[in-house]
Amino acid sequence: MRATLTLENGMTGPDPSLPEPRLTLKSQLEDLTLVWPWAEAIAARYSVPADTQFAIQLCLEEALSNIIRHGYRGQPDQAISVECAPAGVENENAGELVFTIEDHAPSFDPLAPCSVAAPAPAPVSIQEFPPGGQGIRLMRKFASRLAWQQLANGNRLTLAFAIRGS
Amino acid sequence: MQISTEEMPGGITRVVLDGRMDIAGAAAVDLKMNLIAGSAKKLLVDLEKVAFLGSMGLRSIVTPARAVKSRGGKVVLFAPNEMVESVLKTSGIDTLIPVCHDLDAAIAELG
Repeated sequence: MRATLTLENGMTGPDPSLPEPRLTLKSQLEDLTLVWPWAEAIAARYSVPADTQFAIQLCLEEALSNIIRHGYRGQPDQAISVECAPAGVENENAGELVFTIEDHAPSFDPLAPCSVAAPAPAPVSIQEFPPGGQGIRLMRKFASRLAWQQLANGNRLTLAFAIRGS
Repeated sequence: MQISTEEMPGGITRVVLDGRMDIAGAAAVDLKMNLIAGSAKKLLVDLEKVAFLGSMGLRSIVTPARAVKSRGGKVVLFAPNEMVESVLKTSGIDTLIPVCHDLDAAIAELG
């Protein structure tokens, strides 16, 4: 739930200095331009260091572009939601920012053995270097924790990033 | 995302990328990268000002590098920041294209 401020008249309202905890996108690559400023505002709110900001942006871009290109197979105007929630940030050493991505695309477990790219292959020439398939490998490297859940009508992917508490 | 080129001594083409190599950034430089790769024989890809690299950005580097190398040319990646280099290493491309942080070493790789 969004934080609230007590206003001068004694009423309460949403704190405008805090980013919205939830972002809704359509299944088009252009909508990814909405993600970075949102993630950047969240990173500023929780004083996330630059390398973790990089990791968050990387994983969100890889996950969301996979959903758009492969999950929805290029169909525009399908919904994707991204939600961010802090976990344990009151603990100085064990906080996490947890991003939850939900879609209504056909079921796909990116963590299943058949989906997960093995540790970086060793192609003998650049001609053998796979043109795709790097996204899942990058997510596994840069997220602190990954989880996937099949929904009744879609997928939920959870990406967590370790941060220091506030 | 900005892209510029410089012809260096020794027939080296230095392509300087500046900005975020995310999906939008990759799309912005793809055509120019491929045009450069169509003629360059020694390609130095300067990543010093690249703040972000995702898989689509990686593809925008690998595809032209593949074109150059398929014609017997050479490619080197120069001065990526720590996180960009981590992406390169995670993908494994660093085993196929040298990554240098020293310009003289990069030029020597292309020699």
